[in-house]
Amino acid sequence: MTAAVRLPAPAQEAASVLALESIDKTYEGADKPALDRVSFQVAPGEFFSLLGPSGSGKTTILRMIAGFETPDRGRVLMDGHSVNHVPPNRRDVRTVFQSYALFPHLTVRDNVQYSLKVGGTPRAERDRLSADALAMVDMSPYADRLPHQLSGGQRQRIALARAIVCRPRILLLDEPLGALDLRLRQQMQHTLVALQKELGIAFVYVTHDQSEALSMSNRVAIMRNGRIAQLGTPQDLYFAPASEFVAGFVGRSNLIPLQFVKTGGIAIADVLGVPAPELTDSREGAARMALRFEAVRLETLSEQTAPGPTGVIEDVLFLGTNFEVNVRCGDLNIIASVPATKDQHFAVGQKVRVVLDLSHARIFRD
Amino acid sequence: MPASSVTETLPASALGSPAHPAWLSRLGLKPSTGILLLWLVLIVLVPNLLLIGTSFLKTKSGFLAFDPSFDNYLRLWKSTGFWVLLERTLRLSFLSCVAGALVAYPLAFYVGRVVRRHKPFLVLLIVLPLWISLLMRVFAWRLILGQSGVLNNFLVSSGLLDKPSEAFLYTSSSVILVFAYISIPFIFISTLSAFEKIPQSLLEASKDSGASAFQTFRFVVWPLTRRSLAIGFSLAFLVTVGDYVTPAMVGGVDGTTIGVLIASQFGMANNWPYGAAVAIVLILSVGSVLAVVLVLCPSRGILLGDEGVRVMAPPQTPGARVGALFSGVGFTAAILFLYAPLALIFLFSLNDSTLQTFPMQGFSTRWYSELVQNEGLLTAARRSLVVAFFVVTFSTVVGTGFALALHYSRLSCSRLVEVALALPLATPGVVLGVVMVLGTEWLSIPSGLVRTVIGQSSFVMPVTLMLVLARLRRLDPTLVEASLDAGATRLQTFAYVLLPLIRGSITGGALLGLTLSADDVMVTLFLAGPSQTLPIWVLNQMRFGFTPTVNAVFVVLAVACVLLVLVATRTSKPSSIGAR
Repeated sequence: MTAAVRLPAPAQEAASVLALESIDKTYEGADKPALDRVSFQVAPGEFFSLLGPSGSGKTTILRMIAGFETPDRGRVLMDGHSVNHVPPNRRDVRTVFQSYALFPHLTVRDNVQYSLKVGGTPRAERDRLSADALAMVDMSPYADRLPHQLSGGQRQRIALARAIVCRPRILLLDEPLGALDLRLRQQMQHTLVALQKELGIAFVYVTHDQSEALSMSNRVAIMRNGRIAQLGTPQDLYFAPASEFVAGFVGRSNLIPLQFVKTGGIAIADVLGVPAPELTDSREGAARMALRFEAVRLETLSEQTAPGPTGVIEDVLFLGTNFEVNVRCGDLNIIASVPATKDQHFAVGQKVRVVLDLSHARIFRD
Repeated sequence: MPASSVTETLPASALGSPAHPAWLSRLGLKPSTGILLLWLVLIVLVPNLLLIGTSFLKTKSGFLAFDPSFDNYLRLWKSTGFWVLLERTLRLSFLSCVAGALVAYPLAFYVGRVVRRHKPFLVLLIVLPLWISLLMRVFAWRLILGQSGVLNNFLVSSGLLDKPSEAFLYTSSSVILVFAYISIPFIFISTLSAFEKIPQSLLEASKDSGASAFQTFRFVVWPLTRRSLAIGFSLAFLVTVGDYVTPAMVGGVDGTTIGVLIASQFGMANNWPYGAAVAIVLILSVGSVLAVVLVLCPSRGILLGDEGVRVMAPPQTPGARVGALFSGVGFTAAILFLYAPLALIFLFSLNDSTLQTFPMQGFSTRWYSELVQNEGLLTAARRSLVVAFFVVTFSTVVGTGFALALHYSRLSCSRLVEVALALPLATPGVVLGVVMVLGTEWLSIPSGLVRTVIGQSSFVMPVTLMLVLARLRRLDPTLVEASLDAGATRLQTFAYVLLPLIRGSITGGALLGLTLSADDVMVTLFLAGPSQTLPIWVLNQMRFGFTPTVNAVFVVLAVACVLLVLVATRTSKPSSIGAR
């Protein structure tokens, strides 16, 4: 087993265990391409996530790496060699399927051993390795059960054990936590990260859940309509989204229209009638700004610490650690995430001043 | 008539008074459940018990004598001829079903997982022969294999043979060939759904784990489909074992089977107890063969299939393309095998000659115009229509009622009752015929139309029952609750919610029942007596010389059945609405 290597980004091509080179793919009968010039590289031992709404091409990429789809154009490289024409059963890649795809007629042990059995590993060795893999996912007591006798979370662990039993270089995970409830999902996130560190296998992880992708990954590629909208570390994506789409998809943001007005040499933004001298641009015109819920503060009208538009509270959600307060400002609804304290409470209909912390605002112009 | 003595074999209390509400409510039963139990007792239980009872009796100067003993079984035990016959019967059916499976299993794989276009049509194409008169199919093979048949004709005229061979017809291999031909659709239809149900992700998971195509078949596909194959095999085995007409028509001396023996004991030989004993030994042997088959093909685990059927990706490598070409050719060959005999009948029905051989003598519709003038045929056809009308009406009403009762009354043993009601479908034809003879004799119903209607209903009703029951099980149970919740009465709920949803299955069952009734020979031959239905009339025509008119009858019947089946598949299609 190789030691865990966690690189934020591969420096050169030789360092990548997997690379996709401008892949195009259009399915038979479809008018839009499923993948459009997709390129990225994955370093050995990296946790790489593909994040995007359904239909954005994430699963197609995964199936292409596994060998179930062939690209119309472009190359899939593993360790620098093209594997375009290598069938799935000869690729050193394992998949954890969204539906788990456990063989219903085989026991847990036989499911886990399957790849060893078809690969001709002797029985004693098979038993040892499958016992190891089951222990790794805490499922040793269930070795003789059949899949339908397990719960969803247990099946998930078996699917994982089956995929790691022969230590592939690359593990593909297709929304593996999608069918689990919240608590199990959080538990499995920790298991996955720990396992990945221990095994040093490169994970390519597909999900539409942004918090999952951000919390576990070294790097994340955000997919939209068959293209990579942005690729970077979770911090890059969170604090420096490259487009409205990314801003809307990562974290929770208000999208607020603003107007740049020329005063002297530079244009200064006017946000809902309040000038914001910290936002400047070289030219005039309309734009939009993405502002996270936690960058919005609320003040009672009696306080007067900062300028800001006023509005009326429409509804309040209590989320445990914080309140999400929906404030109506003219034609616009702005949501503020306010830390929950015992004495603080917001009433529907109450008038408040909305104070915007613009230091993390991202401006998008057409 | 031996009826009175048969009655004695049963305790008089087995079936007391007829079902009236007071008697039922005293037992805490609803009327629907009462009728259900009545059917179970009268149509299934008593006739089968009578068969067992009769096998211990003797016959004296043509009448049954109440003198219980094991004599019939002892006679069978000592008879070498019987054992030879039994072994041959089981062997012929087994080999034909193996041959049928060798064709049908790959065919089901091809249609279920490879084909991407016109799939419903292809399925229909393979299953359609099931609904075409058995006599027509058997007779077509006679035309091909006979001494002056198409095959000999071709071999002699092409110089491969000097004179027509007698080796094709009236041998055990001709029986195997025809039985295999009959068994293909049965095995195909039951394996098809197994292939369709395998989630694509399982096959991909196998490949992903490094398995070759052969390993994926051996370790994943075969374990997941073998049980369905065994069930299809069993169905075909039951059908062929119970067939006493085909062996008599194409088998000659070497092809005689137990079915022929049983039929003769209830016919010419008139030794019912001996025939009953043979039937019971047959059922037991068939049961053990099928038990072994089912044990050898176990099913394990439960599919957690949560994704729809996805067919394989189109072939991308040259090797795969060659494979696809081969399987396409194989599929076409199988379709030709299924339809060539039928096409032959059609051709000869338009041939202006009394000889059933090539070259054709010219186009003529005279066999069809002779149909209309043949009084015997018209009478038989009318009789068939009357029988089918009553069988279908009766079976549809009763079958739908039973399905509703079984599904909604939460009878504690509803699965068992369902299996018991469906028993006649799983009884070999010859045995079912004998059983129904005994049952109707006991009820003092004379040979003729009434007896035929009851006998046919015994296997047509379960068809409707099972179709409607399957539909009800697929329905979202909250639909009925939603209707009741909205204030509808039970009757309104049935009329406005349930009936529109199960109507497709009911009509489908009725139309299929119609073809089953119109084509039946095995059971009807025992019950009809002098009032022959159309297939019986045709069979007699074929026994005593033969005119090409029969070809025309077959074509007309086949066209009618095909149209019915097409309508049935059309009407039952919207049944997917509202399914879970």
